[in-house]
Amino acid sequence: MQHGYWIRSKPVYTSLAWQYRAQAHMVLAHGEAGRAVLRLYQQRLPEQPVSVLYLVGDEEADYTASLRALAGDCLLTFTKQEALWAAFNAALASACMGTRLYAAGNEAFLWQVSTLAASHGVLHADIMREQPASLARPVYCVHCKTITPHVTTNIAVCSGCQRHLFVRDHFSRRLGAYMGLMVDAEAPGEVPAAEEIYP
Amino acid sequence: MNNLAYKLETFRDDYTFRNSPDAIRRFPFPFDQDHYMYSVNIEPHKPGAPGSVFEHTFDIDEHYVAECADKALTLAQDKGRYAALPHMMDAQWDFLELTMESLARDYPDQFKLSKEGERWTWTNLPLGIEDSFIFGDASTLPMEPLEYMGRQVQGDFVLLDQREGTLFADAGFITSQADWSLAFDIGMAWHEWHGPVPQVEKMGVMERALKFLLSLQQGSPVRRLNWTMTINPRLDTSPEHYPQWGPDKLKVTAENAGRKAHLRVELQGLFRLPRSNAILFSIRCYLMSLEEMATYPRWIKRFHRVIRDLHPDLLEYKGIKVYHAPLMAWLAPHDDGEELPLGTQPE
Repeated sequence: MQHGYWIRSKPVYTSLAWQYRAQAHMVLAHGEAGRAVLRLYQQRLPEQPVSVLYLVGDEEADYTASLRALAGDCLLTFTKQEALWAAFNAALASACMGTRLYAAGNEAFLWQVSTLAASHGVLHADIMREQPASLARPVYCVHCKTITPHVTTNIAVCSGCQRHLFVRDHFSRRLGAYMGLMVDAEAPGEVPAAEEIYP
Repeated sequence: MNNLAYKLETFRDDYTFRNSPDAIRRFPFPFDQDHYMYSVNIEPHKPGAPGSVFEHTFDIDEHYVAECADKALTLAQDKGRYAALPHMMDAQWDFLELTMESLARDYPDQFKLSKEGERWTWTNLPLGIEDSFIFGDASTLPMEPLEYMGRQVQGDFVLLDQREGTLFADAGFITSQADWSLAFDIGMAWHEWHGPVPQVEKMGVMERALKFLLSLQQGSPVRRLNWTMTINPRLDTSPEHYPQWGPDKLKVTAENAGRKAHLRVELQGLFRLPRSNAILFSIRCYLMSLEEMATYPRWIKRFHRVIRDLHPDLLEYKGIKVYHAPLMAWLAPHDDGEELPLGTQPE
């Protein structure tokens, strides 16, 4: 099923680096991706105001203490996604022109940041994104339109309709998800073994 | 073609769709040589020869009523085939204006448009529709303008918003697509929604086509042909309904390929729209079974060679690979190896 070509809608992520020509900086990270923010703080700090919004993840991946030591009062931590998005939304509403955005986390997180920012007129191209930890994919079932979070295999069961979906590289930034297509549509029941290729 | 006899036929279940001899003769056969690869095959969308599919801005043919009925069925099953982002309303009115004016001008016996200021009255005789509305006021139409006219013109329609140096697919009416999903692709930029197309990246085709389209001028629409194959004369070959049509691909045999396998040609038009500066991308689907194609030996011979030598990535992308062997078994006896002159015309 693997096609011998690259699908250009698949986003390419980079390592976060301060953009020094700016008026302000806003950094968002989730769980394990807090490490990407620590790495950012090893670069020369910008002179403009910085704020860090950190969504605490599972207990083994909590970088709150290290981030607090480096970012001090610039750090806001959250334990619930909804609270983080509300705070981000409010921050965007009062942000000035020239505010640089940085996001680190899994893809669902990165594109939630992008979607919210876009609703305030920020272009996708103007956000730096890093995916330092899990490659797990949110997968949109093209048949029943359910998004199954955190898929680590090339074939996965849809959490909505229970079909076996082949996870394509085709990615929608608006949905923040990859396309899943019924893998045994042509020959029902012939489901190849799933391989964990997005751990 | 102003006295069209519309056929009663289906594009699903019992698949009674057939082409009349006249429809076969005017079929937009896309292969002018024995080999096929992508190219930026764009030409001005100027009125073509009388009777040809290029004669009018939007081609209405003998399948019109049946295709509109099929659109309604598909939409009833899956509302997501129509979608429009909120900033596309000006472009929707542009679309309504272009389609109504074109149809009323090109097929005056079938469609009529009268205007008293902003108050327009639209009459569609084949479908038995007559509505009066205020141009620019969506609340005076039974549905949004793109959906309203999308239901009344053969083919699929995408409205492309131009910004950030690219084109975004921000609205669409898609019921006869060759395996792509509007619900998934809506809002995507040019390079994203063309992402899955093989080979074009290294050829630079998409880059050049985009540059060309960004400077598309009002009043100078362009067109191109694209093609794929479909098993059974099915318009709705969507990824959404893949479980319904996917199994058909494994039922092709050397005996039935002539009836089951269809060449699917898309006549794609691109129009710059006046109010919104958006681009209308129209995708009109023509289907022809191999048996129908074989009524013109020149076409079936050429088609045999194209399919025989098609790049493996394209065989896979177009979904032909799984039935390539029985398809070849049916096609090969139709080709005596005669040297064919360049050109797409039938005998």
